[in-house]
Amino acid sequence: MERSFKKEVAQLRLGKGEIFSGEGILAVTKALLQSGVSYIGGYQGSPVSHLLDVMVDSSELLDELGVHLETPTNEAAAAAMLAASINYPMRGAVTWKSVVGTNVASDALSNLSSAGVVGGAMIVIGEDYGEGASIIQERSHAFAMKSSMCLLDPRPNLTSIVDTVEKGFELSEASNMPVMLQLRIRACHLSGRFNARDNREPAVSRNKLLAEPDFNIDRFCLPPATYAQEKHKIEHRLPAAERFVTENKLNEVFEGELSDVGIITMGGLYNGVVRALERVGLADIYGASRIPIYVMNVTYPMVPKEIQDFCAGKTSVLVVEEGYPDYIEQAINVALRKGDLQTRVLGKGVLPKVGEYTADVVLEGVEKFLESEAPDKLAAFMPDSALSASISLKARAAELLGAPIPPRPPSFCTGCPERPVFSAMKIVEKELGPTHIAADVGCHTFSALPPFNLGNTMVGYGLGLASSAGVGPNFGKRVISIMGDGGFWHNGISSGVASANFNKNDSILVIMKNGYSSATGWQILPSSKRDRFGGQSGMSIENALKGLGVKWVRSVRTYNVSKMAKTLRRAMTETRKGLKVIIADGECQLARQRRLRPLLKKRLDAGQRVIRTKFGIDDDVCTGDHSCIRLSGCPSLTIKPNPDPLRTDPVAHVNNGCVGCGLCGEVAHAAVLCPSFYRAEIVQNPNLWDRLLDGWRQAVIRALQGLVRA
Amino acid sequence: MTESPRPITIVIAAMGGEGGGVLTDWVVKAAEHAGFLVQSTSIPGVAQRTGATTYYVEIFPVPIADLDGREPVFALYPAAGDIDVMIASELLEAARAIQNGFVSPNRTALIASTHRVYTIGERSDMADGRLDEERLFDAAQELSKHAVLFDFRRVAEEAGSVLNAVLLGALAATPALPVIKRESFVAAIRGGGKAISSNLAGFEAGFHIEQSAKKQGLALQNRENPKEVGRVERLLQEVKDDPEPVREILGHGVRRLAGYQDLSYARLYLSRVSRVRAVDRTHDNSLIQEAARQLALRMSYEDVVRVAQLKTARKRMQKVRAEIKAAPGEPVRVTEFLKPGIEEVCSLLPGFVARPLLRWASNRGLTDKLHVGVALNTSTVMGFLAIWLLARLRPLRRLGHRFREEQLAIDAWLDQVCGGADRSPELAHQIISCARLIKGYGETHRRGRNNYERIKDSLISPALDGSMPIEESVNKIERAVTAALADPDGVALGDVLVSSGDDVASTVAHAAE
Repeated sequence: MERSFKKEVAQLRLGKGEIFSGEGILAVTKALLQSGVSYIGGYQGSPVSHLLDVMVDSSELLDELGVHLETPTNEAAAAAMLAASINYPMRGAVTWKSVVGTNVASDALSNLSSAGVVGGAMIVIGEDYGEGASIIQERSHAFAMKSSMCLLDPRPNLTSIVDTVEKGFELSEASNMPVMLQLRIRACHLSGRFNARDNREPAVSRNKLLAEPDFNIDRFCLPPATYAQEKHKIEHRLPAAERFVTENKLNEVFEGELSDVGIITMGGLYNGVVRALERVGLADIYGASRIPIYVMNVTYPMVPKEIQDFCAGKTSVLVVEEGYPDYIEQAINVALRKGDLQTRVLGKGVLPKVGEYTADVVLEGVEKFLESEAPDKLAAFMPDSALSASISLKARAAELLGAPIPPRPPSFCTGCPERPVFSAMKIVEKELGPTHIAADVGCHTFSALPPFNLGNTMVGYGLGLASSAGVGPNFGKRVISIMGDGGFWHNGISSGVASANFNKNDSILVIMKNGYSSATGWQILPSSKRDRFGGQSGMSIENALKGLGVKWVRSVRTYNVSKMAKTLRRAMTETRKGLKVIIADGECQLARQRRLRPLLKKRLDAGQRVIRTKFGIDDDVCTGDHSCIRLSGCPSLTIKPNPDPLRTDPVAHVNNGCVGCGLCGEVAHAAVLCPSFYRAEIVQNPNLWDRLLDGWRQAVIRALQGLVRA
Repeated sequence: MTESPRPITIVIAAMGGEGGGVLTDWVVKAAEHAGFLVQSTSIPGVAQRTGATTYYVEIFPVPIADLDGREPVFALYPAAGDIDVMIASELLEAARAIQNGFVSPNRTALIASTHRVYTIGERSDMADGRLDEERLFDAAQELSKHAVLFDFRRVAEEAGSVLNAVLLGALAATPALPVIKRESFVAAIRGGGKAISSNLAGFEAGFHIEQSAKKQGLALQNRENPKEVGRVERLLQEVKDDPEPVREILGHGVRRLAGYQDLSYARLYLSRVSRVRAVDRTHDNSLIQEAARQLALRMSYEDVVRVAQLKTARKRMQKVRAEIKAAPGEPVRVTEFLKPGIEEVCSLLPGFVARPLLRWASNRGLTDKLHVGVALNTSTVMGFLAIWLLARLRPLRRLGHRFREEQLAIDAWLDQVCGGADRSPELAHQIISCARLIKGYGETHRRGRNNYERIKDSLISPALDGSMPIEESVNKIERAVTAALADPDGVALGDVLVSSGDDVASTVAHAAE
């Protein structure tokens, strides 16, 4: 795993009266324990990976409480876990990255929601939207609406988040609906503090086992029960949820003196709204606002009565709702129409329709709203427009900088084992011409970015091979699909390999076997060397492929570019039809370095002989064409000013980050680039033989050099 | 509603793996140690993987004890024009922050390291794609209220520490954060529990950095001159009347070529330069200067002998050891990656042998395929001896096929330069600049030479024979050279030549793609 959570685990034990200080997503973890959950599960993904990671490190505490932790192979499996709460009074929580994880889970979620729950069921979703997101941009909101789940969007401070988790379980039980807790990227990574409460031992747990199975056909998703369930949602569950929300004041109203206007905001955007108001002189830093604010900490179901009460007497309100479609704004308009209120609703229009509502965006929306609806008030409190100051500052900056600052896209890490595979692909592409490449989700997705620019489509996790099924038979060359070991176990084994073999697809699959779910923080996979219990899972990709009946399987060490290129070439030109799988075998270099560094340091400190390998470039041999960089892109392969007084183009240069993976030499060879690369092996703590040998060699070399006059 | 103090806002821009998260944690812990409420957040996203990341911290400068239970509403997003301290781990990231409006003249203290970590776009450029650093630097100076611009990476290296610790030191020293005292930062580092002594050393180094307006470490370091040989110096006497900048280049050229081949080759260089001197009518001698530079490079074209010379040079091992940071007494084994092919072998054979061989290989599409990959350990006696003997083939070079071809091409190019100078100095400049396309080894060299030939046939020759107006050709050659360096597949060059309707070959090239 990415890091050790020893300190955080200690915080999970805090009791009443103590202060928890830490990250947002870890506060949620603590809140789950305070809520007495019986089981926790989920699938890793930014920004919620840490929730599971810290749980994996907390096995002792979980054992004490009897809480079961499951790390399923995908979100559908995680969602299906919640079935425990359909029949039994067990609280449970699962987590994943959304919207993609919710997509994967949606079949289970639909059935879960139809049956309804008796134990509180919570789904913690990390809403990966806006700057820093790594997925397609959609809202998770629609899932709550279509399946009738509650959607919580608390104000982004640790106290509110923790309270909302606890209240969320009560809401789930009061309404029989599963609840989704939506946290944006920044809220997950928020640092802050809250007053802890004692952890609650679950009612049902590994320590307090169930004795009798609950049989109730009404909770079983089979007609005719499903018709009754649908009706139950509308007639009982949603009204019960609305009642609970109102009675427990889950949504909040902050009154203000300028009562003929108001702002309705999603809870998660509240802080941004207050800061914008503060900047235009309409609020103070403690949140006291001159403009009334209605905060929807529950964004589904909405409570029409609360909306109508808030809007009554107001000429206009601003709706701050991130993402599209504008479900909330539409619902507000319907509520006002039904309540026969004439309050004007501004939202998308003064605010952008799509994209993250950052500080500058919200400020612009608030200023535009006030300019349009209450210009006199704006003028009274805000002598200088914060917005125009910010716009002119950016304009001045653009003018001074002259040109837009180039992006710094993510790329493969130094020494990444996946990079050489794409170097090999580039080389083969040059010989055989380009073919269609179906990419997949994982670190390897970066192949689509410079310098490789390899990858034509990417439609979802584990779906690389499946996504080639339509194009493959219609393409003039054999198409190549990529899949990571994470994607393989997530669903690619079935939707990709089994399906392709079943349909006799004639294509090539490259499986990146780096040993971890690397992109999400080195979580363990079924085929990892060690499982999270310290043993071995006994599962391997090779055996799985064999079991699936794949005949053409080659395993190639990724750093061997020549062999990888040869294998790819073979797969492209092989006359036998059928699925050809190349397992690109190389441990994630970051994980490897983390494993090796302490060991090496120990050996060095003990005076033991260690060989350190690093690559270098003779700067007078390099001519500054940078072909090597275009075939590698390694962060440690960079440029520096040309030391040659006659040359101006910068030369290639290997910086100190080099881990000596060997790709540079391989590429120089396989692509016939240039002779400027060298591999240096430094013998640290040399023994007597090393020193004698080196002395003799140096003496001869110096003698030879002495024979030549400069 | 009461007038209330505002939070102190800090943005930290870093790249994945640089420890921006740790730096942020230190700032948070320091603020907590000092008794203030603080909030940080971040978008690490794909942080491990070298992308740009930002962290945002707000510190409320009223002691918790004085708050009477009230809590400020912290923002999660930095706002343009609303930032007190901007910390950037690198110059381009500082510029990105400036672009985003996070640096304002009335408010922001900018703490930025001036070293560069080049973007993939800058690195993979076929020639020189580096950004104008002066411009970024000037914008940083101008738009900040208080700028601490320094090569913090070097400071960290010198202190045996890491960049983020040094930046924390610089933050502690800035007047923008008066409420948090030095000891709180130190306590934060100690509380982190890891690498405390080296982190503290970095912190100290950063804390004591003088605010510097000078850009650090950008000047090119001139390489030490090779051992000066009397005869070379005598040869240089011949050009003692040239102005200083020209003389300097000629000095480099003569020494380079005397080492590359022999003294008479250096003499040939000077006589070739005289041809340009005769036609250079620019007031600043820019023609002769640029021609002398490119000529020296063309005459010292890269071949196996040259590589062997450079790899067996006396200073080479010292350079390698410095580069890889080998400690004294640690043996170093160096392995070279050589892959000589049929072209390299033929370059040393006489023309009547080489030409048929090359033709045969080319007809069978083998030019790219006949290679012998060698990983040669030149730290061993035998390995060094092999490459050392290769370097001794220097006298044979003159007899080789490649030498002859290169000399013909160089003379043809010089003819065109001189012909161009007769018509206009601009045209001559453009013809000279085409020489920068020809560089490198193997395929890189072939590609460059082909591009050069295409430009020569389509633009230079028509300009010289008068079938294309001078101004038009100057403009087009300039665009073509840029295009030739835009992509390795020659697509951009094809587009430029096609759009001007001058390239017969490009239609063929396009069809082949």
